[in-house]
Amino acid sequence: MSDTRQVPVTVLTGFLGAGKTTLLNRVLTENHGKKYAVIVNEFGEIGIDNDLVVGADEEVFEMNNGCICCTVRGDLIRILGALMKRRDKFDGILVETTGLADPSPVAQTFFTDDDVRKKTMLDAIVTVVDAKHVEQRLADTETADDQIAFADVILLNKTDLVSKEDLVRVEKRLRGLNPFATICHTQRSDIALDKILDRGAFDLNRVLALDPDFLKDEHHHHHHDHDHVHDEHCGHDHGHDHHADHHNDELTHDEDIKSISVSTDKPLDQAKFEAWINDVLMTYGQQILRTKGILNMAGAKDRYVFQAVHMVSDAGLAGAWPSKDNRRSRLVFIGRDLDKALLERGFLASVA
Amino acid sequence: MASNTPDSERLKTWSFDAFVVGISVAGNGRTFGVALGDGTVRIVDAEAPEPAPITVHNGACLSFAPDATPDAFLSGGDDGKLVRINANGELTTLAETKGKWVEQVTAHAGANVRVYAIGKDAYVLDVKGKKEPRKISHPTTVGGLAINAKGKRLAASHYNGVSLWWLATQDSKPQELDWKGSHLAVTWSPDGDYLITEMQENALHGWRMSDGQHMRMSGYGAKVRSMSFSRRGVVLATGGADTVICWPFSGGGPMGKAPLEFGSGPMNVSDGSPVTAVSCNPKRDVIAAGFANGALVLGNPGVRSVAISGARKAPVTAMAWNAAGDRLLVGDEAGEVVLVDFRE
Repeated sequence: MSDTRQVPVTVLTGFLGAGKTTLLNRVLTENHGKKYAVIVNEFGEIGIDNDLVVGADEEVFEMNNGCICCTVRGDLIRILGALMKRRDKFDGILVETTGLADPSPVAQTFFTDDDVRKKTMLDAIVTVVDAKHVEQRLADTETADDQIAFADVILLNKTDLVSKEDLVRVEKRLRGLNPFATICHTQRSDIALDKILDRGAFDLNRVLALDPDFLKDEHHHHHHDHDHVHDEHCGHDHGHDHHADHHNDELTHDEDIKSISVSTDKPLDQAKFEAWINDVLMTYGQQILRTKGILNMAGAKDRYVFQAVHMVSDAGLAGAWPSKDNRRSRLVFIGRDLDKALLERGFLASVA
Repeated sequence: MASNTPDSERLKTWSFDAFVVGISVAGNGRTFGVALGDGTVRIVDAEAPEPAPITVHNGACLSFAPDATPDAFLSGGDDGKLVRINANGELTTLAETKGKWVEQVTAHAGANVRVYAIGKDAYVLDVKGKKEPRKISHPTTVGGLAINAKGKRLAASHYNGVSLWWLATQDSKPQELDWKGSHLAVTWSPDGDYLITEMQENALHGWRMSDGQHMRMSGYGAKVRSMSFSRRGVVLATGGADTVICWPFSGGGPMGKAPLEFGSGPMNVSDGSPVTAVSCNPKRDVIAAGFANGALVLGNPGVRSVAISGARKAPVTAMAWNAAGDRLLVGDEAGEVVLVDFRE
């Protein structure tokens, strides 16, 4: 009982019908040797009588006079606190959110509340996406963008229902919204559970291991910066044009989420960088959903890892560089209406 | 199981091996009940043998209080049950809602009521069973329940304030006390003149009932988690800081006054850890406090405080005095329960 390890919590998002419940049922029934407590929003959907399944009401609370980064899920704080009273009964916790929920308050709960932070650890945000309908969802609602932008792992589900060409296009679109998520193709949410559980996506020491492509040459990411796929429905009318099946040109619309990557081969000055990034997050934290960076600080032997959810950030040195010669600093922002030139200028001004 | 610690014959310690959720003293004034995270309750009585586990819930106890009858307790669990446990360990299931959690419970002997809450709804039960259970609803989940000393009014805290209900009448609309933010545990001053809530933030909020005057009590380094009015309501002792913060409530309330404190300093028991549980003695001007590092102190502002125990292995979660004020029972997150006996 005197177990003081933080309990890993996996947040499961995705629109209704994407396959969340199927995935939850698999976690609850499959023989994987671990026990999970599951917090669901629709109690009836889980067909399992399990005393570790808890219904939640999604009560979003503003703390500290409505500061945006202090918007948290009050019900989650309460439920997690109660679950900690029988900490020895399970290995991890899964939180399912409704398809319509903005993931920010859930994520922020794990960084804002002291008790939650002490006892639990946000392990990863997993977003289940219906390959056939996701483009429509992205056209219809901003929440779909948010859920993809926030994800550490994207389950591109129901791949059997779309053509190869469609799948390539959809994946490209998702990659454009979120360059750091691991994308897994699945059918009927069939995935090795170690791909979604115990990922340590917010653990600075493991950020690198999760993103094998993160440090690669930028060519890897070029395709979303220069997305030349055209179709007649692209434009500014999305949200109204309900038969629009294709929305590849995310760069044409300011309201859309996009990712911005800045990089340099020159070492950075840590104090300058921290002053700058704090200022950026204070100013633009509302429109920046997530930030991740692996940076080469002048004088530091190890990699400096930075990550943030809106304004709440975490940073530190985390392990040696894989090769002495390649110490490229790279910082990626995912957000709305971001000014690349401005961010790049500030970033480069932190060069030592 | 019980062992006398070498440094003091006044301490008796048990290891119950589960998170101590709550400790209460029954209406008889002498029987302690300990509710645990493994769904069991232990009865600790001066005259009884070793406390045996009584399985009350299939899951965890979430809420615990003295019952309205003199020799019993109420326990709410994550199996959706509200259960009465008497001093002999006999159980009566009073209510059951499948798939829900009973997160709040309270009772009042004079008013003959038991009240429990599931999510946004609270239910008032007539102890004699003559009246139908009454359901009262709130805009968000109930964070705390408290009945005033006279047994007339029920306070239910929630997001953005507290709802006040009359217990005798079937009022359909409560009186609302508004204050932005999430309100958790709630307590009345002994005279019923003040109502105080612990907030999600590191602060307390209070209302003076006579005129609705707000009281903001802040400056804590951690969540308050525990508060206890002294026997005459002179001070409100609170956790949440590395000393016991005591707000003065004599002469109009704490507005504009600095709180008093005790419990750190020469003994150095707190090592910066916050106070996590407090309990005012019902007979003397003495306050017991437990810390996140497991340390226990006894004291009062302005006089020298004493350490009952230095740091132990887990944060203190609950404590209560018997009615005579000569026995104190303390529990922690690791399931260690300490009985401190002050009797001659």
